[in-house]
Amino acid sequence: MRRINGRVLRAVSAIVAIALLPACGSSFNTGTITSDSVKIGLLIPQSGVYAPLGTDISRGFHLYLDAHGGQLGHRRVALVTADEGAGPDSGVPAGQKLIQQSQVAVAVGVVNSATALGLIQPYNEAKVPLIIANAGANALTGAKRSAYVWRTSFANGDVGASMGAYVASRVDFGQVYLIAPDYAAGHEQIGGFREAFEAAGGKVAGADYPPFGTTSNYQPYLARIQRSGARAVFCFFSGAEAVSFVKQYTEFGLAPTIPLYATGYLTEGSVLRGEGAAALGIQTGLHYSTELDTATNHAFVAAYVARYHAPPTVFSVAAYDAAQVLDRAMAGARTGAQIVAGLGRLGDIDSPRGTWHFSDTHNPVQRYYLREVRDQGGGLVNAILRTLSS
Amino acid sequence: MTATISPARTSAHAAVRGGWAGRLRRVLPVATVLAVAVAPFGVTPPVSSALTRMCAFAVLVVGLDLLTGVAGLPSLGQAAPFGAGAYAAAIVATRLSPVAPLQLVAGAAAGGLLAAVIGWLAVRLRGINFLMITLALAELVHALANQWSSLTGGSNGLVGLPFIRIAPAGPPLVATGYVLWYVLAVSAACVAVVVVVSRSAFGRTLRGIRDNEGRMRALGYATFWPKYLVFCIAGVLAGVGGSLWVAQAQFVSPGSLNFEVSALALMAVVIGGRGTLYGPVLGAALVVLVRYELSPYLAGRGMLLLGGVFILVVYLLPKGLAGGRARRSA
Amino acid sequence: MQWLTDNFITILDGVAFGLLLFTIAIGLSLILGVLDVLNLAHGALYLAGAYLAVQFFTGRVSIWVFLLALVMASVLGAGAGAGLAFMMRPLAGRGHLDQALLSLGVALVLADLISAVFGNDVHTVSPPGFLSGSPQLAGFTYPVYRLAVILVGLVLALVVYLVVERTRLGALARATVIDAPMVRAMGVDTRPFVAGIFAFGTVLACVGGVLGAPILGAYPGLDQYVLILGLVVVVVGGVDTVRGTLVGALVIGQVEVLGVSLLPRYASFLVFATMVVGLLLRPGNRMRVAAS
Repeated sequence: MRRINGRVLRAVSAIVAIALLPACGSSFNTGTITSDSVKIGLLIPQSGVYAPLGTDISRGFHLYLDAHGGQLGHRRVALVTADEGAGPDSGVPAGQKLIQQSQVAVAVGVVNSATALGLIQPYNEAKVPLIIANAGANALTGAKRSAYVWRTSFANGDVGASMGAYVASRVDFGQVYLIAPDYAAGHEQIGGFREAFEAAGGKVAGADYPPFGTTSNYQPYLARIQRSGARAVFCFFSGAEAVSFVKQYTEFGLAPTIPLYATGYLTEGSVLRGEGAAALGIQTGLHYSTELDTATNHAFVAAYVARYHAPPTVFSVAAYDAAQVLDRAMAGARTGAQIVAGLGRLGDIDSPRGTWHFSDTHNPVQRYYLREVRDQGGGLVNAILRTLSS
Repeated sequence: MTATISPARTSAHAAVRGGWAGRLRRVLPVATVLAVAVAPFGVTPPVSSALTRMCAFAVLVVGLDLLTGVAGLPSLGQAAPFGAGAYAAAIVATRLSPVAPLQLVAGAAAGGLLAAVIGWLAVRLRGINFLMITLALAELVHALANQWSSLTGGSNGLVGLPFIRIAPAGPPLVATGYVLWYVLAVSAACVAVVVVVSRSAFGRTLRGIRDNEGRMRALGYATFWPKYLVFCIAGVLAGVGGSLWVAQAQFVSPGSLNFEVSALALMAVVIGGRGTLYGPVLGAALVVLVRYELSPYLAGRGMLLLGGVFILVVYLLPKGLAGGRARRSA
Repeated sequence: MQWLTDNFITILDGVAFGLLLFTIAIGLSLILGVLDVLNLAHGALYLAGAYLAVQFFTGRVSIWVFLLALVMASVLGAGAGAGLAFMMRPLAGRGHLDQALLSLGVALVLADLISAVFGNDVHTVSPPGFLSGSPQLAGFTYPVYRLAVILVGLVLALVVYLVVERTRLGALARATVIDAPMVRAMGVDTRPFVAGIFAFGTVLACVGGVLGAPILGAYPGLDQYVLILGLVVVVVGGVDTVRGTLVGALVIGQVEVLGVSLLPRYASFLVFATMVVGLLLRPGNRMRVAAS
C-alpha cells in the first residue's frame, strides 16, 4: 500500500506535468497573422444542451471557408476549435485560452450570452476581435459594447420587437399572454416584444417565466393562459423547451382557439422536426428562413444541403456571415486593430438572410420576416409570409 | 473502526512515518507549493490561470474534506457558500473596491453567514439525509441567485470585474503570474489552517463524532455544536475559495452555484482520500484539470474522460490518491 | 367548489405527473431502499431507455411495437443492472460515497456515449396507437397518454410491491442487506439475489425511459434532470420503498403542477423547499442511515 501510494503520487504528478507540457513557453502574445496565413479560433459548444447550435455554427463557417479555398482575407486559415461547454465556467477559460495559448488572431462563435459577456474584457485587453455568431444578450452591443466585439447574429430585444406591431394588429383589442423561460434571454426577448407591442396599442393579459432548464410540464402555465382570457400567446423558447411547449400547447387543446406567436427560435432547425404536426400554423418572426426567395439564399441552401444533408438554420447563417465579414475585413490587415477597422468599413453585406450592415454598436441592422410553419411536401418549413417592418 | 480519540503512537505508525513514504508525505506539500510558485516563470498564462483555478478550488475542497472526511458529514451543498463568496467578492469588486483582501473578507463572511443559516437546519440530520438536505438547500440558493437579478445580475451574472489589487494604492495585478501568487498564498494559508484545526483537540472531537456519534454523546459531548462549527468553518473556506475563483475569473454567474460544483468538490474529496487533507488538494487539481482544462479540447467528450477518471480512481485507489494507513491521523 | 372545478385538470395532471415521477423514481428507490446502494447512474439508464424508444417509435406506432420496446428496455436494463452489480461488488462495505463515485462515473460515461452515438438533437416520440390524441374531459382537453401513465404507474407500483414483499427474491434480498452472513450461513448464495434486485431496479429505470419518452422526449441533459427529480421523490417519500415512493411522487407531482399554477413566481423553489420540509419534518423515517 505504501509503495503504491508513492508511485501513485509520482504518477499523478507526471500525468499532470505531461498534460501541461504543451503549455510551456513564453507568455508574450502576438496574434498570429502572417502575410499568407491566419489563425482563427472557433468557440462553439460541442457538448451539453447547446451542442446542436454549435454544430450548425461550425457547418456554416466551414461552408464559406471551404467554398473559398480555405482562405479568408487572401490568407490560408488555420482553424482552432474549442469547446465552449454549457456555461461561462467552461466557456470563458476556453475563450481565454484561444488568445493566450493558441494565439488566434480573431475568434468566432459563442452561443451562451453569459460566456460572451465574460469574454468582452479579455478580448478587449488582448486586442483580439471576437465575432459573436449567436449570443443574443442586448448588453453585448449595448451597455457593455466594446471596440473588439462584433456580432453577426442578433440582439434579443430586436427579434422580440419585430413581432410587436404585427401581433397587436392581429388581436384586435384582445389581450396577449407572454411566456418565456426565466433567464436573461427570455426576459430580453419578451421585453423587446412588449415594448413594441404596447407602443402599437397592445395590452398584456399576463406574463409567466417558467424556470429555465428544469421545466418539462407546462400544463400549469397553459391552464393560467386559458383562465386569463387572452386572445393570443407570444412566447420565446428554444431547444428541448420549445419542443415540450409546442407539443403540450396542442395536447392541452390551446392550439385551435388561442393562436401562438413567437420569435423564430421556437420552430427553427431540429426543434421543428421534433415538434412535428403540432407546430403547423405557428407564426414567428426571425431574420432568416430557408424559404427566403433570393438567389443568394437558394445557392446557400443548396450548397448546405448537398454537403450536410440537412437544411441550414439561422445559426448556420450567422456563422456563414461571420466568415464572410472576416474575409472582407481581413484583407490587408495585420493586427486586431486593423481587422476591427476593416469591419467598420464594410458597408452592406450580401447574405442568405438578405442585405444587412453593422450598426454603430457592431450589431446587425437587418430585416425580420414573418414566417409560418407549413408542410410543403418534403417536410415542415418556415414559409415566408412577408417582411415585418423594423 | 476504532473509537480512539487521539492518534495512536504505536510502533506501526512510527514505522510508517519514519519510512521514506512518511518523509515523502511531509516534503510533498512544501514541494508542491514551491513548484506552483515558480511556475509563472516558465509556463504560458493559461497554465498559470489553470493553476490559480486549482488553488481556489482546493480551498473549497479542503474545507469539504474537513467537513466530510474528518467530521463525517458528507455534503452536496458546498457550491452554495462557494458561490456566495464568489458573488460577495464580485459585488465588492464592482461596487466598492478592487482591493483583493477586502473581497476575500467579504467572500469569507458571505460563505460563513450562509453556512451558519443552512447549517442550523442541516446539521440536525445525518448520513444520506444530511447529504440530501445540503443538496436541496444549495439548489434553493442557486435558484435565488438566478432570480435576484438586481443583486446578482441574474442568469448573465456579473462580468467585467476590475483587476485585483493587493493594497488600495497598489498596482492592479494584470499578469496571471501575480494573481497566481496571491491565490497560492491565500490557499496555502487556508490549507495550513485546516491542518492545524484537524490536528487539534477539536479535530479529534470531530473524528470521534465521525466514527461513533452515539458514543461521543454518551461520553458527554454535545455533538450538535462541534458539527455546526465545522459546517460554518467549511462555509467560510468555501467562501474564501469563491472569492479567489472570482479574483482569477473576473466574472461570476449562477453556474458557480451549480449542483455540478458541489458534486465535483465531493468527488475531489473522495478521489483524494477522505480525511487526508492533502489528498483532496491533489484531487481538486485533478478534477479541475479534467473538467475545465482538458475538456474544451476533447471535441465534446469531456464528460467521458471525467467519468472514466472516476471509475479508474474508485478501483485503483480505494483509499484515494493520498490514502494509506495514515488516513486516520494527520 | 368553483376553485375545484377550475383547477380540476391541473389537479388531475398533478396526479399524472406524479405517477410519471413514480415510474422514474421507483428503480432508484428500490435499489436504495432494499440494497442501500445509491445508484447515480439511474438517470443515464432512464436516458438509454428513452433513446431506445426514439429508435423504435418512428412515425405512428402500434401498441405491439410499444410493448416490444418495453421488452427490449427490460432486457437492456437487466443487462445493465447485472453489469453494475458486478462492478459494485468490490465496493461492498465501502460506503455511499464510493458507490456514488462509481455510479456517477458510469453515468457520465454512459450519457456521453449515448450523445456520441445519437447526436445532441432533441428527439420526441409520439404515444403509441390509440393512446395518442386528446379527448375532451369535463370541458377540457387532456391527452390520453397521461391518463394511461396514471394506470401504468399504479400497476407498476403493485408489481414492485409484490416482487419485493411477496417473492423469495425480494425476501432474500432484504435479508441479505440486514444480515448477509446469516443468509449465507443458511446456505444461500447471496450474490444472485443482490444482482437480481439491482437488475430489477435498473429494468425499472430503462422501462421508465420508454414510458416517459412520449412526455419528456430524449435529449442530452435529461439524465441529470431525471436523476435529481428521482432523488427528490425518494427523499420526500421515505424509506418504505413502494408506498413511500408513491406518496413522495404524488406530492412532488402536485407541487410541480398545482403548486406552480398557484405560485408561478416561486416555481424554481417549490420542489426543493418541499424536499427540505420533508427532510426536517420526518427525519426518523427517512433513508436508512448507514452506520458510520
